[in-house]
Amino acid sequence: MLFSIMRSEWFKLQKSKVSSIIMLGPALGFIMGYLNNEPLQAQQINGWFIMFMYNSLVYGLLFLPLMTGVLAGTICRYEHQAGGWKQLLSMPVTRNKVFIAKYLILILLVLLIQFLYFSAMFVAGILKGIPDPFPLEIALKSILGGWIATFPLLALQLWMSIMWKSFAAPFTVNVIFTLPSIMAVNSETFGPIYPWAQPFLMMHNFTDNMDTLFYVPAEQVLTIVGGSFLLFFIGGLIYFRRKELF
Amino acid sequence: MIGKLLQADFIKIKRKGFWLLSFLGAFGVVGLQIVNYSLRYDWLIQQSDDKWLYYLYNVHSFTAMALVLGIVILTSLIASVEDETNAWKQLIALPVSKMTVYLSKFTVLATLLFISSTLLAIFTFSYGLFLDLGEPVPYIEILKFSFYPYCASLPILAFHLWIATVSRNQGIPITFGVIGCIATYLAYVLPDWVIWKWPTLMNDWNDPLMNVWLGIGFGILLYFIGMFDFIRRDVK
Repeated sequence: MLFSIMRSEWFKLQKSKVSSIIMLGPALGFIMGYLNNEPLQAQQINGWFIMFMYNSLVYGLLFLPLMTGVLAGTICRYEHQAGGWKQLLSMPVTRNKVFIAKYLILILLVLLIQFLYFSAMFVAGILKGIPDPFPLEIALKSILGGWIATFPLLALQLWMSIMWKSFAAPFTVNVIFTLPSIMAVNSETFGPIYPWAQPFLMMHNFTDNMDTLFYVPAEQVLTIVGGSFLLFFIGGLIYFRRKELF
Repeated sequence: MIGKLLQADFIKIKRKGFWLLSFLGAFGVVGLQIVNYSLRYDWLIQQSDDKWLYYLYNVHSFTAMALVLGIVILTSLIASVEDETNAWKQLIALPVSKMTVYLSKFTVLATLLFISSTLLAIFTFSYGLFLDLGEPVPYIEILKFSFYPYCASLPILAFHLWIATVSRNQGIPITFGVIGCIATYLAYVLPDWVIWKWPTLMNDWNDPLMNVWLGIGFGILLYFIGMFDFIRRDVK
């Protein structure tokens, strides 16, 4: 049943022009990668590293956290129009499954955006003629790290998007938490414990140390990302189960 | 007619978070510096001889982005006030012209943002005094850093009010807002004609006043383009 709910969510999303939203990430990766004037060739370090690093300053710090709000708002758009929640829940589906299906679609969309973003940078780098070999392992690490770091953000945004009818209100929550991460990432005490800074910290390849699974310690992933994910996911689920529909 | 519409619009935005947001935007920008200065006061205070100016630059580094995102949120919210209850039709059915409907919405938002900018000046001044940054207090500079970005962001306000009122899907203006926010963040690499660069007060002439005049001029132009498109379209 979960699978069929997910499929119907996917159909609804296509009507909301989600494909153009998805393409924004790779477009940003390509434009920033291609227009980057830093000398990407003939340096001491791999030219790709520099491109990844520069782009993650925008993509991981601002774009990805802000887009979680847009995606979550989009996946609830149909239900907020003209009694859509009632229609959806009058079908033989449980609220738990609807919530989980919407959430799963959201994380799959972000995974897709992550892969497309790195593919776009790959194309940009080839066009610019970066001579170094493409560091696939580093790219995969950033793709998966950034992806996992958005789990709690997506859960909170789904919760807020179910709660409020307007698109702007949940987005406001997103903005209020995302902007301070520009400062948080500069702090050694606050950066690691601030959930909205994690997409950046888990994508930013400041080291080519390949011993650990991610760029941040595993405890940080488990406690901060895992902890805030549980909080927001369970909070959202409880809210949705009790929500009065009108 | 416009007076009555304005009254109605100010009643409609009650208890919907508009006033709170106007406060939060200004407070947040200074609040980030409160955190910044409390954490590393000793280091920050040694960075420049002109402690006031250095503090103002720190505050200013978030003003433009907060302003751009604030505009995105407020325009989308004011459109959803009518969207959610399908009230555009009823509003337009009243004996008012579409032109004044649009002007009233713009005026409400321009007023809210102006209040927010005034609050920004007050908060900047108060926390600056608290930090004891020395004499003389640069009153003129504080006002410049608070109201210049406001004037320079008028084209963005006009643009977003336009797309928020004509879009059926509020995801579109919000997505544009994300792009605009990134453009503001990257302002130092962008050419001068990008309107999202203007609130940062950066330009090739090194003259912030230029952005103010450009902002007012293009703000008026974009306002009229948006208004005429709003009038031309069918009511959603």
